Amino acid sequence: MTPFWSAWIMFLIVLNLGITLFLFLWGPRVKIPVLPDGTTGHVWAHGVLREGMHKLPLWWLLFSGAMFAVGFVYLYLYPGFGASKGVLGWTSHQQLADDTAANAAKLDSLLASLAGAPVESIARNAEATRIGQRLFIDNCAACHGREGHGNALLGAPNLVDGDWLYGGDGATILASIEDGRGGTMPPFGGSLDKAAIENVANYVLSLSGADHSPAKAKLGAPQFAVCAACHGPTGSGNPALGAPNLTDTIWLYGGDLATIEQTIRDGRHGVMPAWRSRLSDTDVRLVAAWVYAQSHADATH
Amino acid sequence: MAGGYKYFEAIEKRALLLGVFTAIMVSLGGLAEITPIFMAAHAVKPTLGLKPYDPLRLAGKDIYVREGCYLCHTQMIRALRAETQRYGAFSTAEESVFDRPHQWGSKRTGPDLARVGGKYSDDWQRKHLLDPRSVVPESNMPAYPWLSQALVDGPDIQARMRTLRLLGDPYSDADIEGAAAAVSGHTEMEALVAYLQGLGIANEAGGVSANRQEGTP
Repeated sequence: MTPFWSAWIMFLIVLNLGITLFLFLWGPRVKIPVLPDGTTGHVWAHGVLREGMHKLPLWWLLFSGAMFAVGFVYLYLYPGFGASKGVLGWTSHQQLADDTAANAAKLDSLLASLAGAPVESIARNAEATRIGQRLFIDNCAACHGREGHGNALLGAPNLVDGDWLYGGDGATILASIEDGRGGTMPPFGGSLDKAAIENVANYVLSLSGADHSPAKAKLGAPQFAVCAACHGPTGSGNPALGAPNLTDTIWLYGGDLATIEQTIRDGRHGVMPAWRSRLSDTDVRLVAAWVYAQSHADATH
Repeated sequence: MAGGYKYFEAIEKRALLLGVFTAIMVSLGGLAEITPIFMAAHAVKPTLGLKPYDPLRLAGKDIYVREGCYLCHTQMIRALRAETQRYGAFSTAEESVFDRPHQWGSKRTGPDLARVGGKYSDDWQRKHLLDPRSVVPESNMPAYPWLSQALVDGPDIQARMRTLRLLGDPYSDADIEGAAAAVSGHTEMEALVAYLQGLGIANEAGGVSANRQEGTP
């Protein structure tokens, strides 16, 4: 703050407090002329209402006096009087640093014991997974849902069903969160015509024993060779690529014929953002532990 | 103190004079608190590496203003522990030098967006703007389906950039020249998503965060 603006603020504070303090001390002492009947002579409504005289109530005087006292004490202790920093030296940034440190101190013993620990062992700590759940709701629920049930519209997988695209061990969950994932299925609409896509889709449905046309599935089977590069010759998926298992009844984007056709035609590109730059290493472990605990009931007992 | 009454009487019987004195007294606080900060605001310099909005994100920012997003979302992380813990480092004046008008807001029906860039995927942002409840069932945010139908107007963005240059934003002739091509064919949805995905990261020192995904610039 420049000396000019500091002086500007000081001048206005002195002016304001000076005028109000003067009125406060002087006003109540001013003698107001009264008529013999005890009124001021001010009348309204043709004399029906007349203005009487009363001293200011004591509570009002005390309250007002206390406000001046609080004002002076505040300006003495805290920043406010121009460039004055106040004798306490309080700043909002220091307050934030203190609050953050105080909060960290509360969690210190817990977090220190968890730093670098395997996700599987953190998952057994109920207090830790409770914190993990808070972090999950704030950061992950937008795509995976509050309960972790996923969202087929986004291709955000269900995290509590025990089925994993990339692997469900602690280290893999940790890696998925820290570095993100980008599951890409290329579009085949350019190389396969409408009928061929329908055939392959029926073959995909046949892998999990869902309702399908056996005739079309038979026609689509040879084309699945291309799909097998990622999904495997039997369609059981590949965790190294995050290619989903097509032989189970769990579907990332939906398992009806139309959705599968759309997936084959247009491809899919699921994005899990990387959280390394947003969450601390311990925070990521806490989230991973909560996620892990959801599909490992034995983890918490 | 005798006779003091005549001064009170002189003021109280003249409504205009009473009004003037009242106005002076109530303005003292504002003059002390607002004026110095208002004048200091002109001296705020961009944080190191802060760049003015590229054309698409600028278009997105103006859509953000047009749709009134600031009525429910702040872009102001206060220096309070609960806020820095949830949203990240507190906001500084230097960060919003190129926001005209600034989007700090004062009402949080939805979460603060000052550092939302990269938190979700582009796809999430699109689906969320088209139908918020398809991704967040508890949300009461309105849908903005018309954004994906309207195209960004190139010459209009160029005119905005020229105006911003007049106000001091460091756009070069080449920046403005290329703006129409940069936004050509892009929908308002793409512009708004590009803007949101840059909030808190794309105009910071160190450049675009590793969280950025997909095709937006």
